[in-house]
Amino acid sequence: MTNEKLARGADRPALIVGLLLLALAGVVYYDASQQTITSNYGIGPTAMPYVACVGLVVLGLAHFFVAFRNGLPKPEEADRGALLWIIGGLVGLIACIGLGGGFTIAVTILFSFTARGFGRRALATDAAIGFVLGLTIFLVFAKLLTLLLPAGPLERLFL
Amino acid sequence: MLTSVLKRGAIAAVALAGLSTAAFAQLELKIMAPASPGGGWDGTARSMQQALTASGIAKSVQVTNVTGAGGTIGLAQLINAKGDGSQLMVNGFVMVGAILLNKSPVNLSQTTPIARLTAEALVIVVPTDSPIKTAKDLAERVKADPAKVTWAGGSAGGADHILAALFAEAAGGDPKKINYIPFSGGGEALAAMLGGRVTAGISGYGEFEGQIKAGKLRVVGVSSAARLANAPDAPTLKEGGVNLELMNWRSVVAPPGLSAEQTKTLSEAIGKLVKSKEWAEILKARGWDDAYLGGADFETFLKAEQIRVAKVMTDVGLVK
Amino acid sequence: METTLSLLNGFSVALEPSKLMFCLIGVFLGTAVGVLPGIGPALTVALLLPVTFKLDPAGSLIMFAGIYYGGMYGGSTTAILLNAPGESASLATALEGSKMAKAGRGGPALATAAIGSFVAGLIATIGLAFLAPWLVEVAIKFGPWDYFALMIVAFVTVSATFGDSPLRGLTSLFLGITLGLVGIDRLTGQARLTFGVPELLNGIEVTTLAVGLFAVGEALYVASKRFRDPEEIIAIKGSLWMSKEDWKRSWAPWLRGTAYGFPIGALPAGGAEVPTFLSYSTEKKLCKYPEEFGKGAIEGVAGPEAANNASAAGTLVPLLTLGLPTSATAAIMLAGFQQYGLNPGPLLFAEKPDLVWGLIASLFIANVMLVILNLPLIGLWVKLLAVPQPWLYAGILVFATMGTLAVNASPVELGLLFLFGYLGYLMRRYDYPVAPMVVGLILGPMAEAQLRRALQISLGDPMILLENPISATLLGVAFIALVAPFVMKGLNQFKASED
Repeated sequence: MTNEKLARGADRPALIVGLLLLALAGVVYYDASQQTITSNYGIGPTAMPYVACVGLVVLGLAHFFVAFRNGLPKPEEADRGALLWIIGGLVGLIACIGLGGGFTIAVTILFSFTARGFGRRALATDAAIGFVLGLTIFLVFAKLLTLLLPAGPLERLFL
Repeated sequence: MLTSVLKRGAIAAVALAGLSTAAFAQLELKIMAPASPGGGWDGTARSMQQALTASGIAKSVQVTNVTGAGGTIGLAQLINAKGDGSQLMVNGFVMVGAILLNKSPVNLSQTTPIARLTAEALVIVVPTDSPIKTAKDLAERVKADPAKVTWAGGSAGGADHILAALFAEAAGGDPKKINYIPFSGGGEALAAMLGGRVTAGISGYGEFEGQIKAGKLRVVGVSSAARLANAPDAPTLKEGGVNLELMNWRSVVAPPGLSAEQTKTLSEAIGKLVKSKEWAEILKARGWDDAYLGGADFETFLKAEQIRVAKVMTDVGLVK
Repeated sequence: METTLSLLNGFSVALEPSKLMFCLIGVFLGTAVGVLPGIGPALTVALLLPVTFKLDPAGSLIMFAGIYYGGMYGGSTTAILLNAPGESASLATALEGSKMAKAGRGGPALATAAIGSFVAGLIATIGLAFLAPWLVEVAIKFGPWDYFALMIVAFVTVSATFGDSPLRGLTSLFLGITLGLVGIDRLTGQARLTFGVPELLNGIEVTTLAVGLFAVGEALYVASKRFRDPEEIIAIKGSLWMSKEDWKRSWAPWLRGTAYGFPIGALPAGGAEVPTFLSYSTEKKLCKYPEEFGKGAIEGVAGPEAANNASAAGTLVPLLTLGLPTSATAAIMLAGFQQYGLNPGPLLFAEKPDLVWGLIASLFIANVMLVILNLPLIGLWVKLLAVPQPWLYAGILVFATMGTLAVNASPVELGLLFLFGYLGYLMRRYDYPVAPMVVGLILGPMAEAQLRRALQISLGDPMILLENPISATLLGVAFIALVAPFVMKGLNQFKASED
């Protein structure tokens, strides 16, 4: 439960955001401190990171303050099943492109999984729609715009 | 009757003539532009595609874009495509610097050099009302106080920046102290010049041509060995007493690990390309100068440029 | 007078049937391609460049101009309908436009965008024809310090308008500024926050962040609360066309948007984003129904869209008068000129008046064609929203990834898109506004680069910002905009306590 309060009455999400902001500030600070090459004139490449760093620290501390006051708005419980389907679709797409499976199959996965996440129960039909959509987009890009979207074994049949 | 005989004769003649090019007509190539569509390297790749197919040197040519990091991401992919005799990549002078600047784990000496294609001279200009008239005037100022001479040009570590550093060195100044201000895109740098915000500007001649001809900018010197054909009035840097030459070139390279035969096929295809009338038309239309240099000569040239750029980048303090 | 004659002469060139044909092809292609996220007019012109170099110069330049204007129209369509701003200049349009579309007011939103673009395009093109030589003299006077001050004005006014919690708004903004640091530093070529990942050297693409936060984030959010609080998308509610009230609320934002867009677009480093942000915050301030902002206020579409289009015409001022390409599209158009051996600039007006004035005249024609082409399409576009919700969102995600893949097909870039999508989901859940983050990513690096250039020129003396009249004035405006709300609040409290 996200809106569960700690014993001292602190709002947990606000504390987490505060910690993440401080951690980010730390990363930015570390990266800037590692810069060896600076400008001869004016201010160098590290000035702006330090400004961002100070801002993040202030905002992080402000989140701690808020955590003991009102906290962040309390969200409703999320439908995890739906989220998992869509995230699965997105991960499937990246994997497919990364492994050289090509654009069409990647789109087929993304389209059908997302539709499933939104409550449709016709994975095969949706996969067919996604397939046709993906292949059409690929061919339009390749032939009309001469832009090559990621091609896999399937796309190579049409080139 | 007669026409059909003529036709047959013609077909036979074409077939005979075609024998020598038969190997090429089967050629299927992939050209990678290691930048996003629309940029300079992409333009070169797409122009090559057009000329290679229109002249019949290759049966088909595919252009792919691999974006990022001054072309070094594309370079890494090319080096991974070991032994692929149908793959080419467009690159150029800028990549030599980008490899050093980005501390890229791969470099150009790992590729199979094919040929240099084009080259463009850079030009150093000042606003017309500037007291600086010649390369010598500018050199004296840079020597006296490098901080006061502000340079406007393209991205840090690019050809413009390297020219500014070499200029300071040739003038006897300290290249580490140059006050070089990179602008995004030629337009912004040009505006800074016209508005009198900076002392001098550097870019390819083409980008400043309109303003030079309109009398708003004065050429201090061009970076080529001889004066440019389209700007015979503009002196070279050497004439102005600054011993310096630098060309912003573009070339094609192939993956490593090619057999001698594969390299020969690619080199011959590019050799035919640069002689084709289609390529000549494109060069003319785009205002590119032919700077073909093939085989071992190109390899030597590439090595020399790598050494030179590495030295400048260290001198100027971009690389430690 | 002379200008009027030249312009009429230009029309006689542009109205030739063959030129009209090129113009029509251009606006059609531009609209079609502008609809695709990530593929803007610059890319379209670049891809067509090799195809056109055998055509006659005037014809193909007119076609490029048509693509340019058409791309600007197309960009707003996806921003409004799919909440996927395909270019940074459509970001402000997406904020209110997508809310309107979901409430069944997609028709009026698209109409006010189209007509606003038309009005802005018309006025700005007149400005281009008559004011260009004068305006450009002013524009090149702008130094880095002036640009920096302009960015600060945009920062201050925009930050004041996002969300009701300053803490969450500023957090979002600073996350954007931090993301803006990623990649090669423009002034020294050093890598920042890249952690050795070469794909990050080019920085975070604005469209990747915007499409991730907006389109992907929203899809996840809507899906996550599908049962408890199902989202209702109404394709059409009320009239498809703008009501009398809509017209009344739109005309002034159109004109104000144009007043921001044209001059800022004409500045060599002004860009299209700053005027759209300024327009959005102005409309929110001036609107009689400020409570509607964030829920679909028509002013928030009308103003930024007009500003966006006017800045496109503004960009042509330095291009035609000086040969200065100040945007990606303008740079490609310049390449288009050069492939015919033409160099834009003062000489071109003298040497090839037919061509230059024909081009300017065809901008008017392209503008008219676009509004004729786009208005009837609105009915068709809005029907898209009647697609069943699962397919609609699946389609939006396909669309979002397609744009990313076409420009940069790397798994890292896709990974970023989805990471930003998930972040956008979390931010929606805890009510953090997402727009300031994109604003931070756009304005942060611009402001940083200009400030550092200014200080490089002044050899480190910060007084340069106050010594120049333009930058001093702009910084003064920013200061007042920052302080005024607090002073007003104080005064009101003071009054209240007296009563």
